[in-house]
Amino acid sequence: MAEIVGGVGVPHTPHFPGIVDRDEPLGPQLRRLYGTAARHLRELAPDVLIFFTCDHYNIFFVESVPIFSIGVAPSAPGPSDYRELPAYTVPIASDLARHIQAAAVHGDFDVGMSQEFEFDHPVTVPLHFLTPEMDVPIVPVFVNGLIPPLPSAARCHALGARIREALTGMPGRVAAVASGSFSLEVGGPRLSATSHTGIPDPQWAGRVMDLMRAGDVARLVAEASEEQLARAGNAAGELLTWIAMLGLVGHSPAAFLEAQPDFGHAFGCWLAS
Amino acid sequence: MSIYAVNKICYRVVHEPELRQALTDAPEQALRAATPPLSEEELQALLAGDVGRLSKLGANHFLLHQLGRFRLLGLDLPTYAERIRAAYRPG
Repeated sequence: MAEIVGGVGVPHTPHFPGIVDRDEPLGPQLRRLYGTAARHLRELAPDVLIFFTCDHYNIFFVESVPIFSIGVAPSAPGPSDYRELPAYTVPIASDLARHIQAAAVHGDFDVGMSQEFEFDHPVTVPLHFLTPEMDVPIVPVFVNGLIPPLPSAARCHALGARIREALTGMPGRVAAVASGSFSLEVGGPRLSATSHTGIPDPQWAGRVMDLMRAGDVARLVAEASEEQLARAGNAAGELLTWIAMLGLVGHSPAAFLEAQPDFGHAFGCWLAS
Repeated sequence: MSIYAVNKICYRVVHEPELRQALTDAPEQALRAATPPLSEEELQALLAGDVGRLSKLGANHFLLHQLGRFRLLGLDLPTYAERIRAAYRPG
């Protein structure tokens, strides 16, 4: 049976790679936080990463907006939306991806299949810091956290658990990655006084941290209603990737968890329970 | 009329350098060629960079801010943010 070894959650702010490269004041903190997550992943020695991400209106906006979809291409380039960022070709464990997608559908999860696409920055920015050699293939799981109506937190958690079941009987070591913020508004009326983004609900971001720190995922799922996510900003549905990741990894308290409160997001590491 | 036409322009801006160029060189012509077509109100608001108006019409903010990010229609990110703030300022 595939061994589920753990997971990480990180943000994907598109200007973070440049801040680190130019050694700006925030650079050392970012180096430490992404470095901690990267070290944790390396120690887990995964053969594959189940990568939960929210498409940012790049793959799915025009033709169709799937609530969940799994990428089954052999690889995909990116990022499509920030050409100034480092470009990668991300390897995909496509056989495993097809297996998981079929198992999800057979388990009454109506998960779509994406056969040709480019990744956007929510995938490439985390991988830039976590596995820059692109030596660990991923299974991309797209969760619609941005374009209402959003799936419920309970459904996302159950999808993670379903993927865990689907891994039964498969070889290798599997880790999960979640990508995104807990409170974030991009371009909307709740932007800050000095930026085109804002953190509308820092209290909620703190509450998410408390519940994750306590390992109380059931309460987190109960409180992460669509209304609460909307209050927390037009990108706050990215939390659903963390909830799906925890559904896969299990409910042990985080081995590492640290917020960047000014950004409404955090860095976390879990060992599988 | 559907605000989808506005959202689609903003989506295409991210992925089509030639549309960004057209919106710089001949914005009205580029916007009149959009499919599905923009309503006259949407078109005039876009030409004026009136993102406050487009926001009130229901445009998707995440997509809308791409006009500022790519410095189109007289916008940049600070101008974009200021116009959104102004549209929602109380009083």
